[in-house]
Amino acid sequence: MRFVFKTSYRQDMGLFRDGVQLSWYVGLLVLLAVLPLLVPTYLIDISMVFIYGLCGLSLMVLAGYTGLVSLGHAAFLGIGAYAHVYFTQDLGLPWLVSVALAAALTAGAGVLVGLPALRMTGVYLSIATLAFALIIQEVLSHWDSVTGGLRGKAVGKAVILGVSFGGSGAFYFLCLAFLMGGLLLTQNLLRAPTGRAWVAIRDSEIAAQSMGVNLAAYKTIAFAYSAALMGVAGALFAHKVGYLAPDIFTVLLSIQFLLMVVVGGLGSLHGALYGAVFVAMLPVLISGARDSVPGWFGQVFGVFGASAGEAVTLAVDRFVKQPALEPGIFGLILALFILFEPLGIYGRWLKIKLYFSMFPLYKSATFKRQKAYMRSERLR
Amino acid sequence: MSFFEARDLVINFGGVRALDGVSFEVERGQVFTVIGPNGAGKTTIFNVISRIYDPARGQLIFDGEDITRVPPHDIARRGIARTFQNIELFEHATVLENLLLGRHTHRRSRFLEELLCLPRVRALELEHREAVEKVIDFLDLMPYRESLIANLPYGIRKVVEMGRALCAEPRLLLLDEPSSGLSVEETEDMAFWIQDIRELLGVTVLMVEHDMSLVSAVSDRVLALNYGRPIALGTAREVQEHPEVIKAYLGG
Repeated sequence: MRFVFKTSYRQDMGLFRDGVQLSWYVGLLVLLAVLPLLVPTYLIDISMVFIYGLCGLSLMVLAGYTGLVSLGHAAFLGIGAYAHVYFTQDLGLPWLVSVALAAALTAGAGVLVGLPALRMTGVYLSIATLAFALIIQEVLSHWDSVTGGLRGKAVGKAVILGVSFGGSGAFYFLCLAFLMGGLLLTQNLLRAPTGRAWVAIRDSEIAAQSMGVNLAAYKTIAFAYSAALMGVAGALFAHKVGYLAPDIFTVLLSIQFLLMVVVGGLGSLHGALYGAVFVAMLPVLISGARDSVPGWFGQVFGVFGASAGEAVTLAVDRFVKQPALEPGIFGLILALFILFEPLGIYGRWLKIKLYFSMFPLYKSATFKRQKAYMRSERLR
Repeated sequence: MSFFEARDLVINFGGVRALDGVSFEVERGQVFTVIGPNGAGKTTIFNVISRIYDPARGQLIFDGEDITRVPPHDIARRGIARTFQNIELFEHATVLENLLLGRHTHRRSRFLEELLCLPRVRALELEHREAVEKVIDFLDLMPYRESLIANLPYGIRKVVEMGRALCAEPRLLLLDEPSSGLSVEETEDMAFWIQDIRELLGVTVLMVEHDMSLVSAVSDRVLALNYGRPIALGTAREVQEHPEVIKAYLGG
């Protein structure tokens, strides 16, 4: 195990624990910088991972750090995307101004959702955000003059200060830059009093309040900041998909975001990014499986005769072509993670790392959570 | 004019009158203890002071100011910090982060400054850190600075919670059963700390406590409650020998 010898309080405020950690991140950055040369055909897909990363960051602030679970984050993405397209194409505003305005607008929407949500906790809050998302979806489909209604709206290429980011390589770096910016700003907040207040609200509202945290104010800030990140992600998302339609921003997308933070690991920025990679890869894996899995079953059951093999292939094929298969798998994965690895991929990674750094002294009970028997009397 | 005063507090939960005309005064620099059998309304007093509950009647005066209708999060800023009977720490944060949250009332940085992590924010963070380190030093929490609360034994958590309250640099400290769940040795340590808090830090202490050895060791004044009504007030010895108090505890 490596111990960091601390000689200054400033070391605890740094972004990186020590030089070793910093060099890992530099290595990752170098890898991301040369990736366009290595896998030029997948760049669009990887840009999607970055955009999802921003979305994950957004929901992580709200659900992972402040403890407010939102089932309507796709609505913020939609508001950001439509606002950005409207600002740049209909009003002709410069790209950067438009993104800033879209972020401000979604932050405002976040405050609007946040205010009534302050009186609600747990599942009631989630339902309120769900209702908000449904309302926004209706607005997007019916406000023809701004959103193009059900016909949708074509999105042009991103042009910033006269430079076109339409090419897949340029767009890749644009998304990467925004993701890194988002990570830096979020990390800044998390190591400052605001972030500590969020964590305090998540772990014990009553104690946070008694220590002077204004619950309403900090929950509203969390909502606004989370929504603003989502708005920026929405602007990039609009360019990525190229055509906006209201049925993109469905509840299913919101649930994918939730899947992202839960699977990645609640309460860590790493988790948001692992989750983004996972959620962006999953549809690719599922569509791959759609083509190959029926054949495998056919081969296995082929031992009982060719006709049995064909029948099984057809049956499995019918099953995997069900349109509801994807959301079903999302839900299943979410439930399995909550049951078996509540700390998510990041938590699993920490356990593996600790196992090797403590070898052979690792105790399997290290991460067992103590039962808090006394919590029953907790004030609400 | 006393430092802290509760005047005729009344609070009802449905048909139950949890506090029924409780009045007491705490002088500056005192350790004032509230005792009583289960359900006597001791913790309810604390929750009224923290403004978690609204009293049906009565007033709270702190340092010459009426705080009966102050919003809950403003109580800490006025210099009143508290601990909880069942420990309400932030479990998934380190001891250091918990203590730093105790500094929340002294926050002076604004949101945008924090977003950009400006030098001013860093300088203020260093100030907070220094104040926290003083408390860590005071309560001997050095070995646990980086530990997650979830990994700490109960006795240490109790001390950390008191430390978090001290980080707010309160003028009045509310301790809700500081010795509950502690071993005999830990309770003795707690008694020394409470004396130190009063004598070295000059903080007035209002506490709820069951352990009579701790109560007698540190309290200047003791108030006994039963069914929300005050039944005796005086020194620890006087209250312990009061016939009403004996009756409340032993029945008869």
